[in-house]
Amino acid sequence: MYYDQARYGQNGEYEPLLSEKDSTTVEVGGAASSAGGDENAADGDGSPLPDHLTRDSLTLPELSEPELARHYTRLSQMNWGVESGPYPLGSCTMKYNPKFTEDAAGDPNAAVHPDRSEQSVQGTLEVLHGLQEYLGRVGGMDAVSLQPPAGAAGEFAGILVAKAYHETRGDDRTEVIIPSSAHGTNFASAAMAGYDVVELPSDEDGRVDLEALRAAVSDDTAALMLTNPNTVGLFERDIVEIAEIVHDAGGLLYYDGANLNALLGRARPGDMGFDIMHYNVHKTFATPHGGGGPGAGPVGVVEELAEFLPSPRVRETETDSLTEPGYELFEPERSIGKVHGFQGNWLVLIKAYAYIARLGDEGLADASAKAVLNANYLGSRIDYEIPYAPFHHEFAATAGEQDAADVAKRMLDYGVHPPTTKWPEFVPEAMLTEPTEIENRETLDDLAAAFNAAASEDDETLATAPNRTTARRIDQASAARDPRLSWHALESDGE
Amino acid sequence: MFDTPDDRRYMESHEWTTTGDGPVRIGITDFAQDELGDVVFVELPDEGDELAKGEEFGVVESIKAVSDLYAPVSGTVTDVNEDLFDQPELVNDDPYGDGWMIEVDPSDADEFDDLLTPEEYEEQIE
Amino acid sequence: MTRERGRGSPFAPHTAAETAAMLDAVGVDDEEALFDIPDEVAFDGEFGIEPRGEAEIRAELARTFAKNDDLTEFLGRGHYAHYVPSLVDHLSLRSEFLTSYTQYQPEITQGFLQALFEYQSLLVELTGLPVANCSMYDAATALAEAARLAGRVRATTGARVLVPEPAFLRAGKRGVLDNYVDGTDLSVETYPMDDGNVDVEALSELVDDDAVMVYAENPTVRGTIEERIDEVAELAHEHDALFCLGSDVVALSLLREPASVGTDVVVGEAGVLGLPTSYGMGLGIFATREEFLRQVPGRLVGASEERVAPGAERNGDGSAAEASGRRVYTLTLQTREQHIRKERATSNICTNQAWVALRTAMHAMYLGPSGLVELAEDCVRRAADLAGRIDDIVGYQAPVHDRHHFREFAVRCDQPAAAIAEDLEGKGFAVHVVDEHLLQVCVTDANAAHADALVAAFEEVA
Repeated sequence: MYYDQARYGQNGEYEPLLSEKDSTTVEVGGAASSAGGDENAADGDGSPLPDHLTRDSLTLPELSEPELARHYTRLSQMNWGVESGPYPLGSCTMKYNPKFTEDAAGDPNAAVHPDRSEQSVQGTLEVLHGLQEYLGRVGGMDAVSLQPPAGAAGEFAGILVAKAYHETRGDDRTEVIIPSSAHGTNFASAAMAGYDVVELPSDEDGRVDLEALRAAVSDDTAALMLTNPNTVGLFERDIVEIAEIVHDAGGLLYYDGANLNALLGRARPGDMGFDIMHYNVHKTFATPHGGGGPGAGPVGVVEELAEFLPSPRVRETETDSLTEPGYELFEPERSIGKVHGFQGNWLVLIKAYAYIARLGDEGLADASAKAVLNANYLGSRIDYEIPYAPFHHEFAATAGEQDAADVAKRMLDYGVHPPTTKWPEFVPEAMLTEPTEIENRETLDDLAAAFNAAASEDDETLATAPNRTTARRIDQASAARDPRLSWHALESDGE
Repeated sequence: MFDTPDDRRYMESHEWTTTGDGPVRIGITDFAQDELGDVVFVELPDEGDELAKGEEFGVVESIKAVSDLYAPVSGTVTDVNEDLFDQPELVNDDPYGDGWMIEVDPSDADEFDDLLTPEEYEEQIE
Repeated sequence: MTRERGRGSPFAPHTAAETAAMLDAVGVDDEEALFDIPDEVAFDGEFGIEPRGEAEIRAELARTFAKNDDLTEFLGRGHYAHYVPSLVDHLSLRSEFLTSYTQYQPEITQGFLQALFEYQSLLVELTGLPVANCSMYDAATALAEAARLAGRVRATTGARVLVPEPAFLRAGKRGVLDNYVDGTDLSVETYPMDDGNVDVEALSELVDDDAVMVYAENPTVRGTIEERIDEVAELAHEHDALFCLGSDVVALSLLREPASVGTDVVVGEAGVLGLPTSYGMGLGIFATREEFLRQVPGRLVGASEERVAPGAERNGDGSAAEASGRRVYTLTLQTREQHIRKERATSNICTNQAWVALRTAMHAMYLGPSGLVELAEDCVRRAADLAGRIDDIVGYQAPVHDRHHFREFAVRCDQPAAAIAEDLEGKGFAVHVVDEHLLQVCVTDANAAHADALVAAFEEVA
């Protein structure tokens, strides 16, 4: 149904670009501007500003509302979301996004400005405080800041906390250790904070190599950033020893929360010895991914590091009322300051709160149980080898002699979203697959069938896929060699 | 399977250089271009830049990989293949010919001896 | 079908029978057997979070949010309210958009890619600069990324980033900038303002060859419109520094086109269209010159072609024997990004604000060029009108700065500003306190209907 070319690709044309639909040029300004800048230029229908302060013209499409509604509806029909079908994109946790959370976030009383007085936004502060509490409990962390607007921003904030901690102790440390299998953001976040990155190889079981870790830590180690379960779904069984090695060297242990969906109710980063973590609420707590964002990446820390968290945080305060607590913003004593201009992605945080409340203890634990069951069930049904086990919520299958990217394109033809491909790099031709808890057995069987069909096909069939999608294989080299990044670029190309 | 002309020397990091007294040409190997896939961008030094053997002299990018380029020998850059800025695909199409990257006037002829021979390089990529 | 109604996740569809069959297929007795977690770190406690029903949670949140006082906000200073047409919610909430992620498989995400391409095009039109990414988190992080870009492209010349004095740069924005340059050699220094505009003469004394970037806002955080912005850019360029301009998509529709005054990077807020007031959530603009293309942070969508036309002959390697001629879209130049370049990436950003960009594009296209210009012109008219009316009241002078204003303006008050703001709050209005005797008021289409009431309240509390 989705791939119906007749419906979306009439006459071989896609939905036209807006620029091609009746662009209009509007002249801007035009008020007579006297030599001294006439303050009364604002009179009447003319421009309220003198010419020398305005642009000359603006050229944009001018469409009626029905035309626009069709445009965006058609575009949406040319897009795959979680509700279109399975979306087992490894490390991204593409869960169903409960509708009611959207309505909860749309509450008009929640639409407040960030500069409102604290006493006039007690409801907002209460929800923020509630989410800080929930996240602290789920992660086993003593204090949480909700400010970071994405996972990578949470990493950056967390590493700045580590940096501030060391600096406060007069301890000059220059390195952050990161397993080579980690998310690219870890490396980039550590580097942005000014650290040298020390890459740690995986051992042959796919986990942290303890000997390599012992050799890597030193007086220069500010932190080890770790994902657990790691990026091929394995639990780092030596986590206590890992924590000891890092702590003995004076370093801190950072938890990348990308894979937290595997552990809900069964293990907590705080109990494993992690000092700092970020949560990906758009993964674990089902807020929509929005075609790339917004997400949110709250950062949690143990008690000793709470004074460094981004500012402001929310705390309870004394009130006159005996039954109703009050809330206030405060700046942690040695706060690293800000990683977002205001308070982060507020609307996303409301949705996360609503999701956690909906599931509660049992629901969260069940989400992990079913996520892990689904991954294991799917893994047991596919013909591709999975080199590393026992995995949890995701697995890295290898395409072997096939090209993983080609397998993915072929899977599109079978009506499913493919896994993350060619990552992590230490798995040859990796296909990182994370079905999440939302798929039923039948859908997992369909997914397995898509994998297995591709597994039995020849290279040419794979290389020429996909055939049934709205667009055929896209020429990536052409896009990069000759960047055309706006409709203006197309016009100047004479297209 | 991959072409490895026997009139040049190679680095483990997949650069080739012609040999001799005068300016030598430097590029990446057939194996390297195949590993990278479609090359979309090449960043090269300016004419007149001084390079030390083993130093990074540029970057080659494909759609999904970035690779640093290392100087096989020390010397002064005497020419840069500006065609690659508009047609980076030359690196894929003709890595030993039109896809060359820079020309260097070598400052120490002995350095060629430390580089891999075609046979040694072929062994490495097997 | 009998569905087990336990207390598990309502969003996991497994029946008891299905679960049993799947466990059987995997070869374990229960789900716990699938967890490879050593006892010493196993968590067997409880979070203490009671699950609630959907209706219950909505009622709970509605009750909680109702504790927010119902104030009419005349607030701005970087976070602005304009009426968002219903079309934006209804179409952006289509699940194909909302529940998708980054377009790693462009063949089945053409719709979002095209919408983002249209968003980028909107920013190119507004800024006059040829490269715009498809989002930063907000204006503050966009400014911070611009400083880092300046550091990279002007690395050899110096390390000073010049920004407006504290009264003219929000502390939050400055704080983010400080954190983003903390790991670099860059240092942030301030230049003074002169009656709400850049003090060009003072700046000329401060800019030297060690400067890598000069940042100015138009309009400023106090709503003043810059009159000599081209001279600021010129000063930066004389010393080989970049000129970075902060603005927003509504102001850009009316004020001087950044490219025409010599701007190298435009940052700022795009969520002023498409986003309702949302406690500071935003959408960062990032647009720049062609020469910095490979230094741009964040995602870029580009146009391309299909390698194979539908039904067309194809070569063995998948290349097109016959070009389809159809234009398609894809994320491009990804080697700049963290998932490929890791610690040498232009930024760590991955998850971004794509859905907000979709909404901003929808809102802008809904308004069209005339609607946008009109909205922007009204921002000037309304600010001038309201400032004049407040100025007429004894005890207030507005606007404080002798400049043209956009949306907002500062008000000097004889009484302490905090006391006046508190009194106004008691009457149902929120305004900014910016200094001991300085208030700030922001007026847009979203609150203009209450302007008379605000003026009356000002009169009463004077």
